[in-house]
Amino acid sequence: MITIDRVNKTRSRTRILSDVTFEARPGRVTGFLGPNGAGKTSTLRILLGLDRPQSGTALICGRPYRELDRPLTTVGALLDGSGAHRARTARAHLRWVAASNGLPDSRADEVLEAVGLTGDARKRAGRFSLGMSRRLGLATALLGDPAVLVLDEPVNGLDPAGIRWIRGFLRDSAEQGRTVLLSSHLMGELAEIADDVVVIHKGRVVTHGGLAEVTGAHRTLEDAFFALTATEAGGPW
Amino acid sequence: MVNLVRAELRKLLSLPTAWVGLVLGTLVAPVIVLLNAPYTRRAIADGTLTDLSDLGLRDLGIGLIGPMVLGVIVVSSEYTSTARDAPGARQLTATLIAVPHRLRLLGAKTTALVLVVAAQAAVTTAATLALTQLLHGAHAPLPAPARIAAAILYWTLTALLAYAITLITRNGIVPLTLLIINSSVVSVSYLLTKVTDLASYLPDIVGAQMFIRGTDFPVEVPPMTAGLVMTAWIVALLAVGAVLFQRRDA
Repeated sequence: MITIDRVNKTRSRTRILSDVTFEARPGRVTGFLGPNGAGKTSTLRILLGLDRPQSGTALICGRPYRELDRPLTTVGALLDGSGAHRARTARAHLRWVAASNGLPDSRADEVLEAVGLTGDARKRAGRFSLGMSRRLGLATALLGDPAVLVLDEPVNGLDPAGIRWIRGFLRDSAEQGRTVLLSSHLMGELAEIADDVVVIHKGRVVTHGGLAEVTGAHRTLEDAFFALTATEAGGPW
Repeated sequence: MVNLVRAELRKLLSLPTAWVGLVLGTLVAPVIVLLNAPYTRRAIADGTLTDLSDLGLRDLGIGLIGPMVLGVIVVSSEYTSTARDAPGARQLTATLIAVPHRLRLLGAKTTALVLVVAAQAAVTTAATLALTQLLHGAHAPLPAPARIAAAILYWTLTALLAYAITLITRNGIVPLTLLIINSSVVSVSYLLTKVTDLASYLPDIVGAQMFIRGTDFPVEVPPMTAGLVMTAWIVALLAVGAVLFQRRDA
C-alpha cells in the first residue's frame, strides 16, 4: 500500500509538486501518467526518501521509506539508469546491494536469471546497453522479493521482447497481491497494464481512479488525457 | 550495521580504482626505500645524513596517495554518472534506496574505509620499516612502537580527510587533485608555514608530527597534541559533511 498525501515540493523557487495526493493499492497495477516534467519522478523520489518534500507525507505500508528496516524486503524500486557504478560488474553490484539488506549472495544470480542477464553477470555495468541497464536496475529491485514495486518509466529503452516480459511480470506481481506503481509518459503502454490510473500534470494530480473511470466517455486513455490537460491555455505542453 | 559495513567493504573492493589506490599506496613507499638505498648508504657514509631517527618513517609520505585515492573514491563513486544516456543517474540512488538511513550509511562507509586503510597502512609500514632495517639496520634503530602506530593513524586520518572533503564537494576530481599536488608536487600547506606559524596547525602538517621527529617544522608540536589537532580537523570536516549529506536531496 502506497499513500501519498498532500505532497508539496519547491525547487529553486519553482513549485514542482502541488498537493499531490493518491494511493496505490495491493493487488493492482497503478499507472502514474503524465508528460515529461509533470512531476512523476519528483513524486517517486520523495516516496523513496531520496528527496524531501516541503510538506505532506509519502508512506509505504504506513511508514516513511527512511524508517523502513531492510527496505529492499518491502520495496523494489527502479529509477533512471541501473544504479550500478560503470566499473562494477553486474554481479558485484547486486552482491553489495544484497549484503546491505542482509540477503544471501545467491539472490544475485537468481535475479540475474529472472531478468535474463545470467550471461552478462561478469560484464561491467558501463558496457551495458540501455535495455540491459534497465534489466539490471529491475534485477536490483527484485533482490528482496518485495511486496511493493515502484518503477519509474520501466519500459524506456526495452526492446519489444523486454516490454512484453515486463508487462507479464507486472500483471503477475499484482495478481500475487503486490502493490505495483509505475510511471510512464506512454499512455498506450499504461492502458495495456494499469488497473488504476493517476494523471499528473504540471505538478498537480488532475484525476485518479480506475482505468475505465478515467478513460470515461473518451475513446482511449490518450484522448481522456488530452481532454483533461488541454483546458489550460496553451494545451498540455 | 555489520551487514552495512560488509556491503560497503564489498562496494569499495569491487571498484578497480580502489585497487589502484591500494596497490599503489602499499608499494610506493617500500619501492622508494629500495631505489634510494644506494644514495642513503652514501649519505650515511659521507656523514651528510646525520639524523637517522626518521629513516623509513619519512619515506611513508609518498605512499599517502593510496589513502587519498581511497578516501575520495568511497564518496565520489556514488556521484559519478552511471550511464551516458542518463547523466543524472548515479549509484547514490541505489545506495540510498538500499540504505535510506543516511547517518547509518555514513557510519558504515567510514568504518569500511578505516578498516581498509588501516590494513594497508599496517602492511606498507611494516614493509617499509623492514626494508629499512635490512638495508640500513646498522645505522637506523627501529622506531618505537608508538611512533609506528602513529604513522598508521596518520594514514587513516589522511584517508578520512580526503573522504570528508569529498563528502562536502560531492566530486572527486577537485579534492583528489588538490590533495595529491599538496602532498607531492608543491606542498601549499608547507609553503604557508613560511608565511604564518598558524599554518603549522593545518591537518597534513601537524599530523606528520605525530611520528616524524625532524626539525624542519617551524612550530614544534608534541606528538599527542599533533594527533589531537589533526583528529579535531577531521571530526569538524566530517560533521559538516554529514550534516550536508543528511540534508541535501540525493
